[in-house]
Amino acid sequence: MVQDNFLGNYTSCVAARSTNRGILAGSQDGGIATGLLAFALEQGIIDGAIVSMVDPSEPWKPMPFVATSPEELYFARGTRYSLSPNLALIKEATRSYGLDKVGIVGTPCQMQGLRKGQLYPIGLRDVPDKIALAVGIFCMENFPYQSIIQLVEDHGNTKLENVVKMDIGKGKFWIYTERGAVVQLPLKITHKYEQPGCHVCLDYVSNLADVSTGSVGTPDGWSTVFVRSKKGNDVWAKAMAAGCFETKPIEEVKPGLDLVTKLATEKITKNRKSLEERAKFGIGKGLRNPYI
Amino acid sequence: MSKVIEISPTTRHEGHSKLVLKVDDQGIIERGDWLSITPVRGIERLAVGKTYEQVPKIASRVCGICPIAHTLAAVEAMEASMGVYIPDDAYLLRIVLQCANRAHSIALHNILSLPDMYIPGTDVKINPFTPEEPVRSVAKRIQRIREIAQTIGEISGGECIHPSNPRIGGLYTNVSPRAKSKMFDLAKEGLALARDQMEFMIAVFRNYQKRDWSEVGGMQVEIPATLGYHNQGYMATDPVYGTSSLDENPRWDPARFNETRPWDWYMGEMEITDDYPNYPIGGTTPKGAKAWPQMEACSGVPLYDGQPVEVGPRARLAQFRGYDEKGTIGQQIARQMEYTDSFYKIIECLDALNTSASVLADEIPQGDGSLGWAANEAPRGSDVHLARVKDGRVQYFSMLVPTTWNFPTCSRALTGAPWQLAEVVMRGYDPCVSCATHMIVVDEKNQLVAEKLIQ
Repeated sequence: MVQDNFLGNYTSCVAARSTNRGILAGSQDGGIATGLLAFALEQGIIDGAIVSMVDPSEPWKPMPFVATSPEELYFARGTRYSLSPNLALIKEATRSYGLDKVGIVGTPCQMQGLRKGQLYPIGLRDVPDKIALAVGIFCMENFPYQSIIQLVEDHGNTKLENVVKMDIGKGKFWIYTERGAVVQLPLKITHKYEQPGCHVCLDYVSNLADVSTGSVGTPDGWSTVFVRSKKGNDVWAKAMAAGCFETKPIEEVKPGLDLVTKLATEKITKNRKSLEERAKFGIGKGLRNPYI
Repeated sequence: MSKVIEISPTTRHEGHSKLVLKVDDQGIIERGDWLSITPVRGIERLAVGKTYEQVPKIASRVCGICPIAHTLAAVEAMEASMGVYIPDDAYLLRIVLQCANRAHSIALHNILSLPDMYIPGTDVKINPFTPEEPVRSVAKRIQRIREIAQTIGEISGGECIHPSNPRIGGLYTNVSPRAKSKMFDLAKEGLALARDQMEFMIAVFRNYQKRDWSEVGGMQVEIPATLGYHNQGYMATDPVYGTSSLDENPRWDPARFNETRPWDWYMGEMEITDDYPNYPIGGTTPKGAKAWPQMEACSGVPLYDGQPVEVGPRARLAQFRGYDEKGTIGQQIARQMEYTDSFYKIIECLDALNTSASVLADEIPQGDGSLGWAANEAPRGSDVHLARVKDGRVQYFSMLVPTTWNFPTCSRALTGAPWQLAEVVMRGYDPCVSCATHMIVVDEKNQLVAEKLIQ
């Protein structure tokens, strides 16, 4: 078990990508979240998973839903850079959906909420023991849906309906359109559209997930994977044995773990500062630090 | 010369109540008063002015044992007042929820009533918590039945305690096909367990009926053949679910209902003249203390056709199935006979349920202030809620809950029993006291009288 101040506790870290071309085709990077949940679903490790899909009525607006088949999971592939309240379905999944073993994908803050809910199940009667697999994703910050409209349509000058993929990487916000145009926005522009709540978050790589994954640290088309818990290790080992993923040691890929550590350190240091600033905000009426 | 004995508080049931008993020299009850001493909840007053969506949620909070009955009765009382007709599939899911609650409640009551009973063929009372066989496997079966029923309630109602899914106009969500088959499988498992449990419980109760004596607090007491007999009538509105003023032929009539004050019904102030420190759980109230049932009772006395009536499993079976066994044991056996019915009904409803259908009415009128009522057959009997809704706000709300009906009836049934067995008679009603505390009292002209007893 590796213990790191910024990357949390993990048993192993690898670069990986799905061996299923169908999954890879629509995925953000290595198709880890989709691939792992699909494997768990097929093996009966989970009965269903809470993931985010695009709201059919509004382009690129994520909404949580409960996927109970691999086909439904494929709908959820890819990243939407906007808030999807996945935890809102955690109780309903065990109720009218009738799930006994729930999988869930979420950002670091959602993993914190999930674990807190498991520890203090107020309003979550009979839910904690039904969480079978929690896949966390890396997250620097998130955007409200209005911000995405602003960024894509006003700054990027592209119609949101026409966008096929959005990505944050190499210091830029990338917008790929159906018509083939690619727009890059410097991250300097996007900062003011971030959700302010994200500026107090002290977790970059989903320290509390069973398995956490993200693009940072590995080449395009690959993902960095942290296996953290016993449960995560178990599922990951089974998935590897079944040949769901191909992996490379993280030391052998560029830019490697150093970049993950660098970004995690940057996020956490920056957010610690904003926490301090919030504490001193105004005169004698500092804003609350959600961590204490 | 009669003595006065008080058992306070009574134990092994929900809520807070006591028994004030006038007994003769042989220890036989001449007159018994069983009264609720749980403080008044005031739900009816809280409800006034709230939106119709809020009130069933508040009503549910009156007690955590049958919140499902209160939610469903309150929801349907609102629907009856507003004239909302719900889709068939919502109705089916509500019945599933109702039956799950009933099965759970019977199982829970088994644990409460078993300690009065004997292991057949022995003089050993049953302790449901002992690790020894045969009791341990029965206790496990009871807990499994409860688990099954609560899980079914959780899936169909969103939550087994204070269900979140029922709403005015139907339900918030239908269940998924997977959830439906999960409930079906659970009900099938529950059915087999419930049948075994029913047979076991009936054997235990029949054994008690055949016994000559029972031991209570070191005293050997003769069990009369007429334990718990009374001559009051029965009131039930449906074998399983309920009825409301929207029905073509409603099976309850508010015009036949009247409520009187405990002041006019219970005994006046008196002194306790005898005590038994060895009576289980701390002995009876010491000599010299005062009891004043008229003033202490925290519930009204509802009358149907001018008489107290019995509600509950026996009332349902007597009204709809021709069941006619009187007394406490007859009542207990009637309750066990509802075990399998609950699971059969769940299976039947799930078979008919369409999981893709809408469970919400297309149109929900906001109410014109007319009186609507709904009776729900809670595990303990008819739970009648009355409401007036106008423009989305509740103007009037009243709950007539099962144990309120049973208080005066059970008080009558105590006569002729040895005082030591008064609690056995009382437990036969599966009392759930906390929801039964109300103080909305009307006089002959149906005017609200000054609520002097509240102060």
